[in-house]
Amino acid sequence: MALNRRQFLIGASGLAAAATTMGLSACAPGAPSGGSQGGGEQGGKTNLALAWWGNPTRNKNTEAEIQAFQQANPNITLAGQPGEFGSYWDKLATQTAGGQAPDIIQMDMAYIAEYGNRGALLDLAKNGADTSKFIEGTVDSGKINDQLVGVNAGINSAVIVANPKVFEKAKMDLPDDKTWTWDQLSQVAAEVASKAGVPFGLVGNFFSADPMFGAYLRQNGKELFTEKDVGFEPADAQAWFDLMMKFQKAKAIGTPQQISEEGSTGAGKPIDQAAVVLGKAALQYYNSNQLEALNAASGESLKLLRAPSLAGKATERKAWYKASMLWSASAKTKNPEAAVAWINWFANTKEAADIDKAERGIPPNAEIQSYIRPKLTPAQQEVAKFIADIKPELATTPIAPPPGGGKLAEIMFRYETEVLFGRATTADAAKKFVAEVKSNLTV
Amino acid sequence: MSAISELSTVHRVKAKTPEEKRLRAKEAARDNKAGYLFLLPWLIGLVLIVAGPLIASLYLSFTNYSLIQAPQWVGLENYARMLGDGRLHQSLKVTFIYVIVGVPLQLIVALAIAMLLNEGMKGLAFYRSVFYLPSMLGASVAIALIWRQMFESDGLVNQVLRLFGIPATTSWIAVPEYALWTIILLHIWTFGSPMVIFLAGLRQIPGMYYEAASVDGASHWAQFRKITLPLLSPIIFFNLVLQIINAFQAFTQAFVVSNGTGGPADSTLFYTLYLYQRGFGQFQMGYAAAMAWLLVVIIAAFTAINFFFSKYWVFYGD
Repeated sequence: MALNRRQFLIGASGLAAAATTMGLSACAPGAPSGGSQGGGEQGGKTNLALAWWGNPTRNKNTEAEIQAFQQANPNITLAGQPGEFGSYWDKLATQTAGGQAPDIIQMDMAYIAEYGNRGALLDLAKNGADTSKFIEGTVDSGKINDQLVGVNAGINSAVIVANPKVFEKAKMDLPDDKTWTWDQLSQVAAEVASKAGVPFGLVGNFFSADPMFGAYLRQNGKELFTEKDVGFEPADAQAWFDLMMKFQKAKAIGTPQQISEEGSTGAGKPIDQAAVVLGKAALQYYNSNQLEALNAASGESLKLLRAPSLAGKATERKAWYKASMLWSASAKTKNPEAAVAWINWFANTKEAADIDKAERGIPPNAEIQSYIRPKLTPAQQEVAKFIADIKPELATTPIAPPPGGGKLAEIMFRYETEVLFGRATTADAAKKFVAEVKSNLTV
Repeated sequence: MSAISELSTVHRVKAKTPEEKRLRAKEAARDNKAGYLFLLPWLIGLVLIVAGPLIASLYLSFTNYSLIQAPQWVGLENYARMLGDGRLHQSLKVTFIYVIVGVPLQLIVALAIAMLLNEGMKGLAFYRSVFYLPSMLGASVAIALIWRQMFESDGLVNQVLRLFGIPATTSWIAVPEYALWTIILLHIWTFGSPMVIFLAGLRQIPGMYYEAASVDGASHWAQFRKITLPLLSPIIFFNLVLQIINAFQAFTQAFVVSNGTGGPADSTLFYTLYLYQRGFGQFQMGYAAAMAWLLVVIIAAFTAINFFFSKYWVFYGD
């Protein structure tokens, strides 16, 4: 068993090398061997990795889209990396840290600045992304520092979803969402809760929804974020917390315990356990593209309502088209052209729209939008109609949260919980809330 | 008497002549080579998987590292920031309550059940397995999810309370004052592994001590205090050290029960959960690494304190 130092070292380094390779490949489950993340090229063929989060329907759609895209572009092969929203971001961060980011990345508004500002995303406009037929205001959401780092994959809008069964039980008509004010929302919610005998008129996590806080701020001439800072003062946050307490005292949004149990909009209950789905609430905050999933879970046809306005006029509610998700590409991709080819194909071809329909939101390309509309399911058609109807109510598109700003809703809900349980005054909570959001920004 | 006491006596045989000494040294060197070879797989693992990242994280704790951009050296800034981080202090408070309340309670339950099982009942193997089961499942996502539902306003706990005529509607996981206690309860429920170790320790106490004590008229309580506890103290010490180290690193239960938020209102913000939020949620891996090293220091301090006080109460029997 004599083993000299050299033999020992060679053996050890060999084993070490083997272990390292295994370790690295283990970092990218679902990716085929051959380093597709880097965009390898073999015999004129380009291999790209494509990552997305989603649900079973979206996974099926995306696989079909990959097949169709590969037929149209025989020189490109795509390796799909499906994921769940929660773990998707941990994985993407780790992959990016290791220089192994997927070539094509499904991106969210909350994280786009995080990656875009740090140079991790490709400037798509410079690499031939075609957004010429996009509806006004739908391109800007993907711009960071004047670079287009994400292309809108579907339009969304923050809404209040109503359960007509609960209104029926209360013998009430659905409210007129074109004229209602915040105070009227509170009255309606309180009335329907008591008459129908349900815990929530409006589910309390409404106040943790950053688009709703954003709407309230915009109607007051403020924004959630400016390019490098928080766009509101502690006084604005205090007004929002005071409004919540007013709703709560009016018995419109449930008890503190019920609100806390329901959870924030980001880390709350899954759709099939949502209060509005189970008939425990008349109204609940959601995004418009979630209507189909909500209908499927509840077996009802739920209705979409606008957020209220201060003036009682929907045209003054400062609405905006939100990108439900975006397509981005890694700045390190070896083949930017091929990555952009997918993004263009997805955004601008009927073929792609035939498969995706409105699952990722209403297509932002105007031509594709009118092409696909008759082919949509009834729920999706309702969403498409809603998105078209609110066009006169649109104001400017808010900018993406700066790096570190993606957690605003979660932080807000934490301070609201403190207020609801009487552990902090609204003034105190508002001051700490703004300070914490500011301290998280890394610009 | 016990394995631990045997380990404490190290046997050394001294070589007599210089000739013998050389021979022994040569032999030892050959043995060592073979030993290192057998050690190699573990050694590679230690260097690459444990020591490498360990040193890297120490380096990262002195940097500003967003995971996306290369780390920038900031010196002690991360550590300085910890002093003024209110959520960090809250997470320390939560974790300390969890450890200081949860660990002793869990050990008491484990010892009590172990003593019951030590009475030599029928079907001991079955009961032992049944009681051990929770500790295998306790840290799993499935159990944490069930725990969450059990303690909701319409959960099993309240339904049982209502059977007894108590109009319970409290959502135990949704009220900041109660949420942590549901997780401590979960921790106590996973008493299986210390229980098995206690059981092994109880088996090693010679029955004649109890017989002699009975003849002298000692009560059960006196027997427990004067015989069981002193002779079991090395095992209690072992369990205490191990469980404290484990409890400081609790993560899964808190993550699942609060959906990763540490809520309601940070009442279940465990240290490791906050570390995770900082590192992966807010892309502050440098700060998270610094937090990890603070945890190392805290755990080391607790272990050192444990060892220091052990000489006053741990009895090694020889």
